[in-house]
Amino acid sequence: MRLLATYPSSSSALRAEHRLKASGLAVELIPVPRQVRSNCGFCLLVDAGGSLESLRATGPDGLWRVLDPEPGTRRRRYEPYP
Amino acid sequence: MNPTRRTLDVRSLPCPQPVILTRKAMAEGGFAALEILVDDAAARENILKFAAWARCEVDEVATEGTVTRIVLRPATPGEAAEAAPVVHAAVGAPAGAATVLLTSDGIGSASPDLARLLMRGFLYTLTECDAPPLRIILMNAGVRLALEGSDSLDNLRTLADRGVDVIACGTCLEFYKSTEILGVGRISNMYEISEHLLSGPSVVLG
Repeated sequence: MRLLATYPSSSSALRAEHRLKASGLAVELIPVPRQVRSNCGFCLLVDAGGSLESLRATGPDGLWRVLDPEPGTRRRRYEPYP
Repeated sequence: MNPTRRTLDVRSLPCPQPVILTRKAMAEGGFAALEILVDDAAARENILKFAAWARCEVDEVATEGTVTRIVLRPATPGEAAEAAPVVHAAVGAPAGAATVLLTSDGIGSASPDLARLLMRGFLYTLTECDAPPLRIILMNAGVRLALEGSDSLDNLRTLADRGVDVIACGTCLEFYKSTEILGVGRISNMYEISEHLLSGPSVVLG
């Protein structure tokens, strides 16, 4: 399962990236998608199978499940993750 | 000879030329089917990945000995009028599409950390674009983006697989003593780079 985690600031997203990478998780730092938030910022794409607790421990202020792209485009879609 | 079929022989061409030439031919159009002759396994996979991405129909993939023949059809047959814009939108505008020149591994210079973060974000965002640039040219510290260990290497590889011509400045690689660890793209020189910058719209970031 791929999750997108948003943080209160880009620097906290960066800190979370370092932490998760250090614990061996596959993490990608990307700009916050427009569907998720309209202001500028960075968030994390995480392969979170079995490591949800480590992800939550980094203090995200939002979690989204990553869905397949809209048909005919490359833009991923997201739905809120409880 | 069938005038509605064009043949593209990319045998013995080094990667990523086969996929780049395929992309250019699809953008030019003017045929019902494009027959590609390829003799390199990686190039064949890249062409098929590109075909899936550009929503081409794959009519045939036939391997005989070392040569594979791939036949692609742009978009839906029988809807030529609609097919052309669909293909162009998918592969990026054909002639004069943008060249992106990156002169640093960051965007702006006030804070190096922020600059690098913005560049990473920019290259990731290009991978989600439905019409990525025709080529990305890396100069000066921009070449660092394409080196082994770079945070942006995977994104540049994704773009290269889709037919974006990733070009690294040979002088710059040599200056930074990094030629051996170039992880994506090909090495070129100021002559080719200048021609590209003057041949159509360019976006310069660095």
